Amino acid sequence: MAEMWITMGPQHPMTHGLWTLRVKVDGETVVDTIPELGYIHRGVEKICESRDYTQITPYCDRLCYASAMTWAQSYIYAAENLLGAEVPERAEYIRLIAVEMQRIASHLMWLGAYCPDVGNLTVFVWCLRDRELFLDLLQELGGSRMHYNFPRVGGIKRDLPIGFAMRARAKIEMFLERLKEYEMLLDESTIFLVRTQGVGACKAEDMVNSGVTGPNVRAAGVNYDVRWAHPYSVYDQIDGMAAIEKASSNEGSDCYDRYRVRMTEMIESCNMILSALDKIPGGAETHYNKKDEMIYLKPPQRAPEGQTGFSNFEDSRGESSFYLVGGGGKKGRGEFPYRISIRSPMFITIPYVAKTMIGYKVADIPAIMGSFDPCIGETDR
Amino acid sequence: MQSISPEQNITAVENAILETNKRFDLVGIKAEACQHRSGKKYSFVHIDCPPNQWPSLAKWLKFEQGVDYLGMITGIHYPLEFEFISGKPGYKPGTPEKGWEVVIHLTRKGIKNPNVGEQTVINASKLSGMDIPLEYQVSIILPQTDEPKIPSVQSIWEGADWNEKETWDLVGIEFEGHENMMRVLNPHDSPPGFHPLQKPHKIRYHDHNEMYDDAQGFMRKPLDSDKKK
Repeated sequence: MAEMWITMGPQHPMTHGLWTLRVKVDGETVVDTIPELGYIHRGVEKICESRDYTQITPYCDRLCYASAMTWAQSYIYAAENLLGAEVPERAEYIRLIAVEMQRIASHLMWLGAYCPDVGNLTVFVWCLRDRELFLDLLQELGGSRMHYNFPRVGGIKRDLPIGFAMRARAKIEMFLERLKEYEMLLDESTIFLVRTQGVGACKAEDMVNSGVTGPNVRAAGVNYDVRWAHPYSVYDQIDGMAAIEKASSNEGSDCYDRYRVRMTEMIESCNMILSALDKIPGGAETHYNKKDEMIYLKPPQRAPEGQTGFSNFEDSRGESSFYLVGGGGKKGRGEFPYRISIRSPMFITIPYVAKTMIGYKVADIPAIMGSFDPCIGETDR
Repeated sequence: MQSISPEQNITAVENAILETNKRFDLVGIKAEACQHRSGKKYSFVHIDCPPNQWPSLAKWLKFEQGVDYLGMITGIHYPLEFEFISGKPGYKPGTPEKGWEVVIHLTRKGIKNPNVGEQTVINASKLSGMDIPLEYQVSIILPQTDEPKIPSVQSIWEGADWNEKETWDLVGIEFEGHENMMRVLNPHDSPPGFHPLQKPHKIRYHDHNEMYDDAQGFMRKPLDSDKKK
């Protein structure tokens, strides 16, 4: 049969953002794919070369609209590395709570966006409803619903509000009950199982060699996680473990495994938040003033030439990294970074996923692509 | 969460440095331990590598040291002189020996395919030897030149493919031997030589004063307004 090219995107329900997948098909079978990115490239790296270290945080918030807190934190760790800033332990605990809440909200957004792709519209509405629980909590911390600008170099913007811990515990208890309802709705849905099981097989070693990270690799039966391998923050002090799923076939993990691993990760994140609320120094119900030394220590403002900072961070979609070089700014005084480089997990994952689609049917493309949780904001940056 | 202890990390770092220096003593590759100043509680291996030795170092790291993951490639431009603010020269970041730098971040993850229906649950505190995850940072310095080039490692790590595309697209460093090099973030019809992260390239509002004087940009003409299109 004659082969032909189909252009999916930039506006297409499969894309979850603004990008194009050019697919060569032979009948119904995918023969070749070319991803095209860059539709919303904003030049964040260049812009940040003329912003000081505090001003960069909001730009990093806007790298990913579904997971703003994790990206801002990822940048903050690199900046603290570069400047040599010290962080109070209480601030680290509050950051951890915020990041894990954002991870749950991001996974709920993913589940909500993925299920309509594979024919289940109810979960979409439920997920957006429950995402609000965590967005409300994050709003108490950061002051806004999506782009929080919450972490600071050397601490955090403000302490936990009074009653936050009580509300967080109550909401998590409710959410864990609701997760069981999700599982009932999805695991007993024949359509969902047929669309996801045995589709989009990926092996762990191939994925790592291609630069795929995070939950997508853990779905293949490997529990590599930056949070234990290169510990940052206070993850070594709290309970919880990396979510991990069994590889379902010789070809590796399928879309169903990637759904399972994210469900487990949400439960683990809940456990981490509860554990952190119990162990936080100073107590979760105490409120310290803004810029109290329990939550903020003033960092050095300049980084001289030759200093570098690197952070490797477990984002909701994989490993996000920042590499910062000091010594930029007017005449090299070091108030701005000389170069800031961002590693987006999805930028590397999307070309890999496009390759794995070869051999499957056209109808499987949304199921495979969606299961990797693409986010174009961070991809194009 | 059970995590790698500082002792395990230091042992792995020291072993890696010893082996790298032993293997590449004669060709100018030097490895040293680096400590993160804050945040991360571990050390990593920093390797200085001349550009022509990069493929042999990469092969050795991948196939004998088990470095299975290439995280990120950063290109940095150090021109002899450029104007950070229009009309105010005198900013000299580079030297004749150091015009460009390529920094590559690698990780040894030690991931193996598990059998069907099994999962590899790693007990972090019992890892030893080559199983301990370890980060590498390779720095390749190039002299002042208009055409910076380093060899490609696309055939060693597949993950290098799009990282190298991005570095060429934004910074203009060429990767010799890279197949199918193309624009990924800039428009596909960008003119040759358009690499926005090179330092002389200016964006709108690069300068603060400029931004506040004319925030909407009404007074300004495009930079190429006098050129015929």
